[in-house]
Amino acid sequence: MSFPATASAVLAVGDAVPFRSPALDWHALAPEAVLVATAVVVLLVDLFTAERNKWLASTLSGLGLLGALVPVITLAVDGNTRSLFGGAYVVDDFALVMKALFLVAGYVTILLSTDYIGEGDYWEGEYYLLVVSSVLGMTLMASARDLITIFVALELLSIPAYLLAGWRKRELTGNEAGMKYYLMGVFASAVMLYGMSLVYGGTGTTVLAGIGRQVAGSFGATPVAALGIVFVLVGFGFKVSAVPFHNWAPDTYEGAPTPITAFLSVASKAAGFVAILQLIFVAFYGRDEVYGPMMWVLAALTMTVGNLIALRQTNVVRLFAYSSVAQAGFILAPLAVAGDSPAVADDAIRAVVSYLLIYTAMNLGAFAVILAVSRKTRSGELDSWGGLFEYAPGLTVLMTAFLFALAGIPPLGGWFAKFQVFKAVLGAGGASAYILAVVVAVNSVIALYYYANLARLMWFQSVPDGDRSPVRVPAAINLALALCVAFTVATGFFPGLVGHFGDAATDLVAVALRR
Amino acid sequence: MLLNQFLILSAVLFAIGVYGVIARRNGVAVLMSIELILNAVNINLVAFSAMTGTLAGQVFALFVIAIAAAEVGVGLAIVLVIYRNRRSIDLDEVDLMRG
Amino acid sequence: MTLLATVNSDVPFNVAQNVGFGVIAVLMVTGALRVVTTNNVVHAALWLVLVLAGAAAQFILLAAEFVAITQVLVYIGAIVVLFLFGVMLTRAPIRGEAGLTRSNWFGGALVGVLLLGLLSFTLLDTFGGDRLPADTRLTLRPAAVSQAEGTEPTAGSNVGAVSDSIFSRYLIPFEAVSVLLTAALIGAIVLARKE
Repeated sequence: MSFPATASAVLAVGDAVPFRSPALDWHALAPEAVLVATAVVVLLVDLFTAERNKWLASTLSGLGLLGALVPVITLAVDGNTRSLFGGAYVVDDFALVMKALFLVAGYVTILLSTDYIGEGDYWEGEYYLLVVSSVLGMTLMASARDLITIFVALELLSIPAYLLAGWRKRELTGNEAGMKYYLMGVFASAVMLYGMSLVYGGTGTTVLAGIGRQVAGSFGATPVAALGIVFVLVGFGFKVSAVPFHNWAPDTYEGAPTPITAFLSVASKAAGFVAILQLIFVAFYGRDEVYGPMMWVLAALTMTVGNLIALRQTNVVRLFAYSSVAQAGFILAPLAVAGDSPAVADDAIRAVVSYLLIYTAMNLGAFAVILAVSRKTRSGELDSWGGLFEYAPGLTVLMTAFLFALAGIPPLGGWFAKFQVFKAVLGAGGASAYILAVVVAVNSVIALYYYANLARLMWFQSVPDGDRSPVRVPAAINLALALCVAFTVATGFFPGLVGHFGDAATDLVAVALRR
Repeated sequence: MLLNQFLILSAVLFAIGVYGVIARRNGVAVLMSIELILNAVNINLVAFSAMTGTLAGQVFALFVIAIAAAEVGVGLAIVLVIYRNRRSIDLDEVDLMRG
Repeated sequence: MTLLATVNSDVPFNVAQNVGFGVIAVLMVTGALRVVTTNNVVHAALWLVLVLAGAAAQFILLAAEFVAITQVLVYIGAIVVLFLFGVMLTRAPIRGEAGLTRSNWFGGALVGVLLLGLLSFTLLDTFGGDRLPADTRLTLRPAAVSQAEGTEPTAGSNVGAVSDSIFSRYLIPFEAVSVLLTAALIGAIVLARKE
């Protein structure tokens, strides 16, 4: 192993200049600045308001998340790729698409939380502060192209999420949700850090682009490089609940407040994928014989195990927990072949980003329906969904739409996501890619079974307790449902819409290949 | 000094920490094992920083220390709530949900 | 591997440093083993102090004194105290308790040994006999620069260089950590306080 002999010279140059405050591109940092301001305002408002005005916290944090979208849009219109701090923080189209995803997902989470938290005697101001902090971590993650920034962003999005998962602190299931998520998450990030330290040690830099150059060069061939890559990716495997690192997911999803379950299954998972994408395409791209097989195994296991366990669930939240594990498998599949050629890399990143966008809409929509229905039934059991059509036809139709979208049936959004995955995997060619495509296809059929089973319960079963009083859906949940169903249906009929975002996001891989 | 003497020390701490995470059933004891892993990471980072002559490793180690403090604070809050509700922090008992 | 050996072959083998490393390393490994095997949580916390202090000493050997000081202040000063509070508040018996370790601990031990074997093999294969640069080269802020600025020579001190880079290059993670600590503090209080 050889190290750059100029190291001391580099330091001398760095030291010769007295400290100058760095030139900040405030436009590039504006979304994060708005989020920090929102967090502070929410905290102060909560401190100075009376109990009956606590709804202000929810409204303000919702507005703050929407406000942070404004600079994201102006940055997208501007169109320049902005690289700050020597490439450690990059605002490109990929980052902007993902930031928009996180902000909208955060906004929908707040819409879902408004009534749940308001009615449940929870701690409102602090709750929204933690949601906004977690979203801030995610938006940072979308731009982080440096190991230190990725680590800090990961912790900023995770630590509030640990607390939120255990937010129902008087319930034993709530405690258990927080404890399991916390221990698994902290252990995973420790393993990831060990991997990062090895990668840094071999390359002498923490900036992903620099690591990419070294990994493609002599360091990449060493066993330490392989070990570092595996450890780092294992750490994020926990985050996206890939099998065999998924043990926390079902219990955490069941015990956490339902809006947080929606948030974790969508936004937190997407943040894990963003980090994986950045690491694979910018830093580890030269070592596809390490991450390729690893992703292949993870994807195949995640899909299959998630789906098979989902088949025998009787609780609707656990069903969706395992379904979201399985969906993560579909999203991992294109990464298994990403190293095949630049064209496949483009396809893979397009597939992952489109899948994340569509999955966010349909899964959040499904959780919105679950929340609305459980307001009446007070139960998470599948049987309580029997005959939903008789007293809540609107919700039944929406839920059916989300279920079929998740199953990937045209003309709803999900088919385009699945199609992109197939396109990327088959585009790579070769025996292992074809086998993976078959695994994806078989799993799509298995998933259809349990999604259709829930639909069958709602449409054809009779109401279990004969209570046919209508479900009253609060305005905030209605708005969330409208947003999700509009996006799910629109992307089904006009896949170009989301395809456009997917194309824009390929500038991440363009950076990787430019070297 | 050899680079590897630090790296092997760190690997030993890492392996001991992983053993602790798997074998311990008390929430606080598991947390301590995780701290062992984080210390292994820090030794790696600082040793590599000395080896490559770059500062990034030391800065990374500082961030790890700061965030470890936040993690432990949060973890003990969660442990405390569990203790309050069930008078025990035995992880094997914290397993209500199945399926 | 061979390349670096030639680069560093002029570096003298410092016996005192190596003896110091060895003594501290043995103490750290002993402490770490006791942390994961003792049947008393309070003892485990105290053994942890030994490991943490040992790590701080190793950082000084590596000329990273700011990290060493932070390790002592934050890890030993704050985190271990938090642990002790946690142990006290959950009323663990001072005399220890059986059942701190799972009965199927040998599975974990097997994983640990395998992991250690894998890591050692990999590290030895890649970094072999690479030697650290001598202390003079570990000085991250050359004395000449400090003198030019009219301050005391800071040979061996890298605090200035570390702080410069935190507040320029790593500004974003630094600010993010401040938000993180606030959020963690507030969230932890909400969870932990009595109704």
